[in-house]
Amino acid sequence: MAEIIMPKMGDAMTEGKVVKWYKKPGDPVKKGDAVAEIETDKVNLDLEAETAGTLGEHAANEGDMVPVGGVLANILAEGEKEEAPQRRVTDKKDSVKHTTGEYQEAIEQKGPRRDRTQANVVEMPAAAEGGRRRSSPLARRMARDLGVSLEQVQGSGPSGRIVAADVKNARGAAGSQPAGGLTEPAAPLETKVIPLTAMRRTIARRLAESTGPIPHFYLTADYDVTNLLSVRQQMIDISGAKLSLNDFIIRAVALALRHHPNVNASWGDDAITQHGEVHVGVAVATADGLITPVIRNADQKSVTGIAAEVRALADKAKNRKLKPDEYQGSTFTISNLGAWGIEEFTAIINPPNAAILAVGTAESRPVVIDKQIVVRERMKVTMSCDHRVVDGALGAEFLKTLRQYIEQPLRLL
Amino acid sequence: MKVMSEKSYRDAIREAMMEEMDRDAKVLIMGEDIGVYEGTFRITAGMLKKYGPKRVIDTPIAEAGMVGTAVGMAMLGLRPIVEMMTMNFAIVAADQILNHAAKVRYFSGGQVDVPMVVRGPQGAGVQLSAQHSQSFESFYAHFPGIHVVAPATPADAKGMLKTAIRGRDPVIFLESAALYGMKGEVPDDPEFTVPFGKSRVAREGSDVTIVSFSRMLQLSLIVADKLAKDEGIECEVIDLRTLRPLDMDPVYASVTKTHRAVVVQEQWKPFGAAAEIAASITETVFDELDAPVARVTGEDVPMPYARSLELLATPHEEDIERAVKRVMYKS
Repeated sequence: MAEIIMPKMGDAMTEGKVVKWYKKPGDPVKKGDAVAEIETDKVNLDLEAETAGTLGEHAANEGDMVPVGGVLANILAEGEKEEAPQRRVTDKKDSVKHTTGEYQEAIEQKGPRRDRTQANVVEMPAAAEGGRRRSSPLARRMARDLGVSLEQVQGSGPSGRIVAADVKNARGAAGSQPAGGLTEPAAPLETKVIPLTAMRRTIARRLAESTGPIPHFYLTADYDVTNLLSVRQQMIDISGAKLSLNDFIIRAVALALRHHPNVNASWGDDAITQHGEVHVGVAVATADGLITPVIRNADQKSVTGIAAEVRALADKAKNRKLKPDEYQGSTFTISNLGAWGIEEFTAIINPPNAAILAVGTAESRPVVIDKQIVVRERMKVTMSCDHRVVDGALGAEFLKTLRQYIEQPLRLL
Repeated sequence: MKVMSEKSYRDAIREAMMEEMDRDAKVLIMGEDIGVYEGTFRITAGMLKKYGPKRVIDTPIAEAGMVGTAVGMAMLGLRPIVEMMTMNFAIVAADQILNHAAKVRYFSGGQVDVPMVVRGPQGAGVQLSAQHSQSFESFYAHFPGIHVVAPATPADAKGMLKTAIRGRDPVIFLESAALYGMKGEVPDDPEFTVPFGKSRVAREGSDVTIVSFSRMLQLSLIVADKLAKDEGIECEVIDLRTLRPLDMDPVYASVTKTHRAVVVQEQWKPFGAAAEIAASITETVFDELDAPVARVTGEDVPMPYARSLELLATPHEEDIERAVKRVMYKS
């Protein structure tokens, strides 16, 4: 019995394709007869029988890829019986992958593959009592952000390294206290020198620039937001959209700015520029500090549109993915600390804006209406103005316009 | 209208060259056995017949001479492609590539460009033994003045080779010998090109970032699919495509999401591309890392000829899987 195998037709050849069988199983063959046509990377060629006899079973079908050395068929001598040849067809999809059979053979011959990634790891001695705790950079950052002390965390990584999952677990264990309450006991205080990040330096420089050369003055107004909150709730009930009070304020401010182009303006050394478009910056607190993504042409967008955009930009801001054109170019800025329960505050102007609106919390308060004391939902806002651009009366006019939008919220829809 | 066709990596490379030769009479190719013999890896099949011996030039075995000639041609306005039978042979021409092609614009004060491509196969997996199985991306990518390209798919092979031929710069175009037969969808548009310096997310995932290029990218994708199916681990796989210029932004964005990275390369570990990538990740997004960046590399030996040993000396799916689990603290 003689084997017909896939020949190696060049250094780079690892497999060949059976294009056509010229002889069927059982056909007699003479030495030199073409038995099959095969295709390699380079050529198509006819495989010839090297001995005479009868062709046995085809071990590969037309179109199959067969590795070099793989048996295609046997030529049987007179009276010889064939055990079906072993099929060694490769899966074409696996031209990239190491063929599993070959790989298993290699392992059997040469012994198991060693774990090469293990070579990177040097086991460190256990940390000394009270000594430095090993922790991953992410675990340290998470611990900082979540207010978890690494001292309280058991490390599960190699050599006792504290990893992110450990911090999360520790936080989960501590999280059995009443939601939103103070964590008891507070992490021990420590003296820390925190090097300035580029972002913190920029915040410092820009705000110092602001309070330095810009003559600030402040105007506070107290708005009734009972109707606005009711409209908001109805919109949420109807559409299911996520809408915050601030989304309505952004729209109200943008519309009010349309009436007061002299507030939607910037101071320059030679001129005051009134901007042709209303781009509202929204202060967002991130783990790294303050950043103000910008809602462009906010006066032309619906509340729901603004809400979605604010949400997307705030997410990007928190992941440090904001692009410069997403946080630059505002013409007015809103800072809202209502969520922190701040009743009222003054904000520092975000140059080159001429003003910023600091928005406090909306809450139920007793007020006098028609000489009756009634409970209404109220919200205080304080506008910081660049006096070089916006004079007192002008700022007051703006807040009056804003009041109409806020207290008559159907104007916003 | 059909816009894509299935083609092999080999055919995509040939098609890119022929389309560019049709488009621009200044494009020509030279190399050993590329004309009459139609290429050791059959890349240049049919080209001599179509374009004749002035544009498809069979050269003597003299790599320094071939590249030196091409540098001169390019300086005077032609757009030569030099095929290296394997990139291993380009070592002979390293002076012409690194000291001439890569320096001419600088030395001429920006007056003279060298628009040329040196292309050919590299890497292991086809039993070509120690001298013919090496990978050169870190060697060339070390030097300013040249682009270094390592496509992982037929579409990228075509689109990036066209960018290389049309560009103003010398380009080292590293093909994977083991991918020549690999098939994939390739855009039919003759104006389809792929820019240099744009990494791509080849597979989205949330748990671990795998960074790779060339054949190892395909291996990484196989592992990513397996881990998703068997263990619910979702790997994001990034294809760097060009080593110089190197576009790390998608890597940083991905590591910021997954907090772990595995870099896979076929070449030896010391001073390899994976070292550069791992160091850049640590420098740039240190605070995002929950585990040290892991490297998967070839064994630190000359490539054995024996098939069994070659399989053991090159990165295997198992290695990538182990590295992924290690950075997830699952091993």
